[in-house]
Amino acid sequence: MRLRLIAASALAVALGAPLPEAKAAGTLTIAQAQDPNNWDPIITFLLSWGAVGSNIYDGLVMRDEQLNLKPGLATSWEVLDQGMRLRFKLREGVTFHNGEPFNAEAVKFTMERLLGPEGAKGPQQSNYTSIGAVEIIDPYSVDIVLKRPDPVMITKLAGYGAMIVPPKYVTEKGSQGFGAAPVGTGPFKVTGYENKVHITLEPSGHYWGGKPKLDKVIYKFIVEPATQVAELQSGRVDIASQVPIGMIGAITATANLQLLSTTGPTVTVARFNTANGATKDERVRKAIVMAVDREAIVKQILQGHAKPVTSFQSTLSFGFDPAQKPIPFDPAAARKLIAEAKLPPGTTVSVDFASNNTVFREVAQAIAGYLTAVGLKPQARPFEMNLFTNDIIPNGKTGEMFAMGWGGWTFDYDNTAYLMYHSGERWNPYDKDPALDAMLEGQRTIADRGERQKALQKIANYVAEHALELPLYNLDTYYGVNKRVKGLVVPPDNRFRLIDVSVD
Amino acid sequence: MGRFLLGRLALAVFVVFVVTLLVAWAVRLSGDPSVMLAEGSGAITAKDLENIRAALGLNRPFSEQYAGFLVGMLTGDMGNSFMGGRAVSGMVRQALPLTLMLAALSLAASLLVSIPLGIRAAVHRGGAADQAIRILSLFGLSFPNFWLAIMLVLVFSITLGWLPPAGADGPSSLVMPVLTMATILSATNVRLVRTSMLETLSAQYIMVARSKGLTETVVLYKHALRNCAIPLITYIGLQFGGLIGGVVVIERVFNWPGMGSLAFDAVASRDYPVLQAVVTVLATMIVLVNLAIDVLYGFVDPRVRAE
Repeated sequence: MRLRLIAASALAVALGAPLPEAKAAGTLTIAQAQDPNNWDPIITFLLSWGAVGSNIYDGLVMRDEQLNLKPGLATSWEVLDQGMRLRFKLREGVTFHNGEPFNAEAVKFTMERLLGPEGAKGPQQSNYTSIGAVEIIDPYSVDIVLKRPDPVMITKLAGYGAMIVPPKYVTEKGSQGFGAAPVGTGPFKVTGYENKVHITLEPSGHYWGGKPKLDKVIYKFIVEPATQVAELQSGRVDIASQVPIGMIGAITATANLQLLSTTGPTVTVARFNTANGATKDERVRKAIVMAVDREAIVKQILQGHAKPVTSFQSTLSFGFDPAQKPIPFDPAAARKLIAEAKLPPGTTVSVDFASNNTVFREVAQAIAGYLTAVGLKPQARPFEMNLFTNDIIPNGKTGEMFAMGWGGWTFDYDNTAYLMYHSGERWNPYDKDPALDAMLEGQRTIADRGERQKALQKIANYVAEHALELPLYNLDTYYGVNKRVKGLVVPPDNRFRLIDVSVD
Repeated sequence: MGRFLLGRLALAVFVVFVVTLLVAWAVRLSGDPSVMLAEGSGAITAKDLENIRAALGLNRPFSEQYAGFLVGMLTGDMGNSFMGGRAVSGMVRQALPLTLMLAALSLAASLLVSIPLGIRAAVHRGGAADQAIRILSLFGLSFPNFWLAIMLVLVFSITLGWLPPAGADGPSSLVMPVLTMATILSATNVRLVRTSMLETLSAQYIMVARSKGLTETVVLYKHALRNCAIPLITYIGLQFGGLIGGVVVIERVFNWPGMGSLAFDAVASRDYPVLQAVVTVLATMIVLVNLAIDVLYGFVDPRVRAE
């Protein structure tokens, strides 16, 4: 009897309340890889959170599709006290989806919650620790006071953790209740959520930035990329957010589907072990950089869905130097440098990477081929991802080269350079260079944007000059999209704003 | 009999205990969930990680964490997920029936196919039907289940557009996962029915039944099948663990929100409480099924009790 009850209830779950068909008028269906399980902004860094949360919440500032800052819940802002005080003028007449008013109190509550014990339980707090206090000037003016210089803070206020939340509702519900039924000021409100199955949004009805054209947005959580593509091909989702490179052909070959792509946030490089082995010698490092043909890797393995890079940042990054020339592919010169270095015969060079990175697995094979061609003895070594990022890299147990992909979501080179090259940082087990440390610390204190940009460019050039890494490529962000979707602009940070999107 | 039952029960409890201990210990060797949680953060410091670990209770000694988990399991409180803090018991309650339904339907479908086919193969031993059935079953044995699943999606969802490729959106969502599992199960079940039927058919009481003038259908399905059901039931019990393991993979391919999907996510994010709960629940079920079979044996065969 009991078994029958369980079976019956399972059947009810499976059969009851079927999801509306993707083809329904005005309904957009999107496949997302992961369910963060909790939609509280301070709890996660998952891209899935950003894709959904950006339609539920607003920040004081927001970024457009070109990643330029634009007003959000703040209509304007000023930088005071040499960059140590940020004053925001707030938008009036805005309410949260539950009717609570948005004002300076809500801003103070949001930031203090993020910086307090509740925020300490999640990973978002770490990005905002330069904030010292939040001071209310009047109900629609608020100051964010910094305790140390942080030129990237305004950009960070467009980040997940700084999304403004309703004080009364959050206090009443707690993180769990709030995370299960989130309320923000964004263009869409949450009307249905089934953990690990779907979250459904509908227009909130009174958005300050206009009226959405869609009646409904359904995000389905589908982990397996091949399954996402199958759902897209059979017309049950309109957007697949995870498309394996090998399946791009299947999408472009289908008449009603298209591939939309943009410059992605993630740059992949192979970093050098500058403390041990053959790569301790700068000449060997330079030789390796010259020995690898990045253009060919991008064309052949990545099928053109990436751009070769000259430093550990994309062209969109603040600190990118258009004048920086790539070191040309020159195997003859590489062989000469290696001969000069007089390596003992049979010296091996290993290329380490995380085994779940199927794209890099092929790239590693290609790199090994290039290194063999200049007389080195390469070996490609995959490691389990968690072990690789938790132990092998931070504890300096890698071989001569190790692959890393890094995507500074702020699109500011500081976010990458400081963590990768400053002595003692978690991701930097090998380099100890006082000159580089001084440059990295120095740029953080520069308030002038132009000056700081120059300082960051100088760092990128210094790193290339000393060949601290083998720059590889900036992978595109791309989505499989049904052609019935109109007005979709793919943002580099994966945070779709669906307000102008419609479906046929 | 009472002592026999008690002994088997104690052994079952011991096995579940050892499994939970092994899982709790091994999962902690495999990586730090606080780092997984912070993946994507640009500025995470050792102190931030320490804060997150403290909030998750990971700074306590292992014995304390494990004891907390055991006490929780006994009281029905499985703790909260590291990813988002949801109650694990709620997640399991949502996922378990879906997995059980998939497993039960697959098993039922497999028996519906393999019993008549197995009998047919045995009756026409060496004939064309027997050969065909044996070759088909060999194909079934050789398919990896995920490959079969992907091929079904390609044909029925993408080319023909008849069935949804993923999700749990209605009865049509069940067809392909059940078909995949049932095909794999039937490949072995058909051979088992055939072998055990061959043995039964050569027994004297079958000859007696036939000479009484009973129809072949009655002989086969009433007299013979009952006797060859005993090894079949035994084997299904043993198969149960493998069946659950297979469902885990199939759930992932078809995006079926059951225990397998839950386990997959938990492994990827090192979500200890979810992973421990899923493994404990499934291990308990497998142990219980095998316990039930042990007990059944005891009833059927007095020699087992005496051991």
